[in-house]
Amino acid sequence: MTVSAPVFDIQRFTLHDGPGIRTLVFLKGCALHCPWCQNPESQDHRPVIAFYRERCVERFDCRGVCPEDAIRSEGFRVDQGKCTVCGLCVEACASGALRLVGEAHTPEELMEKVRADLPYYESSGGGVTFTGGEPTLHPHFLGRVIEMCAAESIHTNLETAGVFSLEKWAEILEKLDLIYFDLKIMDAEQHERELGASFDTIQKNATALVELGLPVEFRMPVIPDYTDTQDNIERVAAFLRKLGQTGIHLLAYHNMGEAKIDIISGAQPRLGRARLSDERLAEVRDEFRRRGIEILNP
Amino acid sequence: MSSEPATVIPWKPSARIQRLYEDHSRATPSIGAERALHYTEFYKRLASPDASPLLLNAQSLAHHLDHRSIRIHDDELIVGSHTEHRVGAICHVEKAGSAMLEDVFHFETREVNPLAVAKGVKWKLLREVAPYWLGRSLPMRAFSLRKKVEYAAEQLTAAHFVINEVAGVAHFLPDYGGLVELGTNGLREKVEARLAAGELPEDGRDFLAACLLCIDAVERFSDRYRDEARRIGRDDIAEVLEWVPRNPPRSLREALQLIWFFQLIIQIESIDQGISLGRMDQYLYPIYLEQKRRGEVDDDEARELFAAFCIKLSEVIPMFSARATEYFAGLPSGQALTIGGIDEAGRCASNELTGLLLDVMEGFKTRQPNWHARISKASVPDYLRRVVSVVAGGGGSPALYNDDVIMPAMVERHVAKEKVWNYATVGCVEPALSRESFTSSDAAIFNLAIALEWLFAGEKRMAQGKTCRRPWLSDLTSMDQLIDRLEAQTRGRLLHMKGSLDAIEQSGAKYFPTPLSSLTIGGCIENATDSTRGGAWYNASGIQAVGIADLANSLAVVDELVFERELCSLEEIANACAANFEGEDLLLARARKIAAFGNDDARVDALANRVALLFDRCVSSLTNTRGGEYMPGFYSMTCHQGFGRKMAAMPSGRLAGAPLADGLAPVDGSDLLGPTASLNSVARLDHTRFANGINLNIKFDAATVEGAEGRAALEALVRGYFAQGGMQVQINVLDPDVLEEAMRDPDSHRNLLVRISGYCAYFVDLTPAMQRELIDRTRQRAR
Repeated sequence: MTVSAPVFDIQRFTLHDGPGIRTLVFLKGCALHCPWCQNPESQDHRPVIAFYRERCVERFDCRGVCPEDAIRSEGFRVDQGKCTVCGLCVEACASGALRLVGEAHTPEELMEKVRADLPYYESSGGGVTFTGGEPTLHPHFLGRVIEMCAAESIHTNLETAGVFSLEKWAEILEKLDLIYFDLKIMDAEQHERELGASFDTIQKNATALVELGLPVEFRMPVIPDYTDTQDNIERVAAFLRKLGQTGIHLLAYHNMGEAKIDIISGAQPRLGRARLSDERLAEVRDEFRRRGIEILNP
Repeated sequence: MSSEPATVIPWKPSARIQRLYEDHSRATPSIGAERALHYTEFYKRLASPDASPLLLNAQSLAHHLDHRSIRIHDDELIVGSHTEHRVGAICHVEKAGSAMLEDVFHFETREVNPLAVAKGVKWKLLREVAPYWLGRSLPMRAFSLRKKVEYAAEQLTAAHFVINEVAGVAHFLPDYGGLVELGTNGLREKVEARLAAGELPEDGRDFLAACLLCIDAVERFSDRYRDEARRIGRDDIAEVLEWVPRNPPRSLREALQLIWFFQLIIQIESIDQGISLGRMDQYLYPIYLEQKRRGEVDDDEARELFAAFCIKLSEVIPMFSARATEYFAGLPSGQALTIGGIDEAGRCASNELTGLLLDVMEGFKTRQPNWHARISKASVPDYLRRVVSVVAGGGGSPALYNDDVIMPAMVERHVAKEKVWNYATVGCVEPALSRESFTSSDAAIFNLAIALEWLFAGEKRMAQGKTCRRPWLSDLTSMDQLIDRLEAQTRGRLLHMKGSLDAIEQSGAKYFPTPLSSLTIGGCIENATDSTRGGAWYNASGIQAVGIADLANSLAVVDELVFERELCSLEEIANACAANFEGEDLLLARARKIAAFGNDDARVDALANRVALLFDRCVSSLTNTRGGEYMPGFYSMTCHQGFGRKMAAMPSGRLAGAPLADGLAPVDGSDLLGPTASLNSVARLDHTRFANGINLNIKFDAATVEGAEGRAALEALVRGYFAQGGMQVQINVLDPDVLEEAMRDPDSHRNLLVRISGYCAYFVDLTPAMQRELIDRTRQRAR
């Protein structure tokens, strides 16, 4: 049986998602819906047609090929109610205004793309990082890919929000070289309310990973008024200390994800906040340091 | 990755050197007319009508050196100027210089690279100089009248090629390693011994006699500076000049003074293009060590001397007309200086001098030299790390060269395996064997991309806007046929160009040999033959192809739309190109959607390799007039703009008049998957065939490469690219001005990667506000 998964982007030469020069593989689908999401197109696990309005030359070659009559003249080009994401319009679109987000890849297809930068993984100590969305939503697919990477000595990193079934994942996790585990809101009630998922699983998984001795490092996105409150910082620090962790990666909030909502005509809310200032980030870093937690990213 | 060395504060030159540099910078670049006037005077009045051109060239050089105005400037450590002005351009009247006089009334007022011309000099040049050389200069002597007209027309429009040799061959590595071992006394002995040995070829006696005249002239020139130094109370300079040029130098200062005299006089004799300094950290090392052992030099003093030397190199400016500037912008004189590499035993050759030169490169940025660093698998980590940190500091220096590709490429071109470790670079990017080669490495620059336009239009230039039947395209039904046709046509165009090249080489060799230059090239004295006549041991020539990426992208479009998907005919594509894609929106959009060279796409990369190898086959089948082979190079100076401006649209979607791609790089803004994908595409070409060198420019914003992490990534990129067979790369770290430009013109900067807090993004993908912010941040950092 061939398993496949929707990959909505592959970025090469990334330097900040693990050691060395890395290829970042973005898998579509997420268990959370954080209001600050930087990749809103990742949340739904289904592929979708994106529309880049400024590239459109309005020749409507898309309309001629669409079997569902889903092409509209005004507003967002694709009627998502009718669209079955067959991709014919994307092929017909000469200008590249229509793009398929979340093309299905088999493990072999993905590996071929990952291997392209092998010389740079070798020269830099880099490798591949799986992110999303929530990559753990694709255990069969990713299990196979991680196995292949291990066999070819390609360094692997998994970025997860921690919502997964440990039973399904324990065996796969053991093959990883690195796991980036995101902590966001520590208050269980607020977590469930804002992010749409229970914090319980996340907490249990985090603890289990550390107890299993897996190479896990924790990260926290610094979101104004959501994660950067005194209370939340205190609770993250306490949780880390309890797990015997001494460091954290801090990711500064930026609002560039919001522009992508329009491209997929998404219904996500917009936080409407400015990028986190360098000054505020420095303060938060100090807050952690004061609590005995060092900052792992420069 | 490896641990970060302690932060090093970049070396800064002393107040003296800074003053020297400021004075140098304030000097107005001017036309130095004295050489033109002296040479004309000599040939008009003093030349013996039946003397051999070898002697005439030595005598004219001597006449000029004996009469040139000389001056020693405040704070100078090394003396001698390229012209009578502090920063000046020479008019080599007997070669292409008289053609550059087309601009004599515009030099001062033109926008790009203005040159001052002293009062009275303009008319003198026009009345006395230009008319005399009208029928006597190198290009005029090279051709019959009919060929002259054709040649002039071709050079003036320059769509297919530019022949650089018309200005003189230049572009070689004088054997300065040998020079510092001998001094002029040793050179004289060598020449006299050869004379005494007899069995001289035709003209051998004249050649050797001319060599002796040149040596005498150099010594007299130096003595004039010595006397001037005494007169103005600079005994330190006078003492240096009591010893050199006659004796082998005992100190770095003496060595650099000796080398500079030769460097400057060779550029007066030949031309000021690509006279390169070779492996200075290697051949000066014994002198430095000995001096250090005697406790006579400290490293700071050595850096000061190198800095003073760099100022001297920067005084040399080429005299290009506005027309030439379009093809060679930015006042290039191509004095390459090579560091690093390996030694005879294959070990890393970097030494203390390498480090000192890197300090100067980093802390004291001057227009010249062209800094080139050789990198090998054997390079020690410290050397590579230091080189990369200098690169990350910006300014594009040094450019990096891969020994592990260049050496095998040279061996394939018959350079002896046991000598190849000692190669150095010439001019822009060209590898050549130190000590004994006379490589006309920049003989000509050839527009390969125009092949398609030539084919579409039926062996002529494309008539713009003209839709017509093109029956000669109808029998091309596969990519193989199309490429075969392009190869035959390219061969024909190259042969046509070579006809002119041969005539120019023969005219140069016959009328304007270069005995002084020849003295510094292994083989010339031994063979008692001038370098222009084949005296050197190695005699290769280089022809550069421009437009590989554009041609490959165009072929990929034709392959997919015509041969594969059969969406249109070749004739329709040709007509769309003629129409500059007007009314052809769909075709244009389709063309631009097809993966371009630089995206790690196997099809278009393979096509790029095919066209590069096609050019290699055509060029490598030719032999120059000195018996050397031709080798292909892939760099463009700024010819990609000059050629591009004259061309119609191409199937790739490149519009009429747009620049072609720079060197071996992807088309600007077409590589969308980041630097690793782009480097993979470039490395997919067979660089071992590109023996005359390549140029690959890549750009980063300052933030991407800053800090230990950024530098480690940069180093890893270079190592990954070199491990895959990349020959050369030049890394530009961008200043905020480029980001401003990207804001105004996003389409040409689609591949510009910038670092935002914590990650990299394409600059053009950012919101205007974010772009603004980044520019402001970069500006702050630059301050």
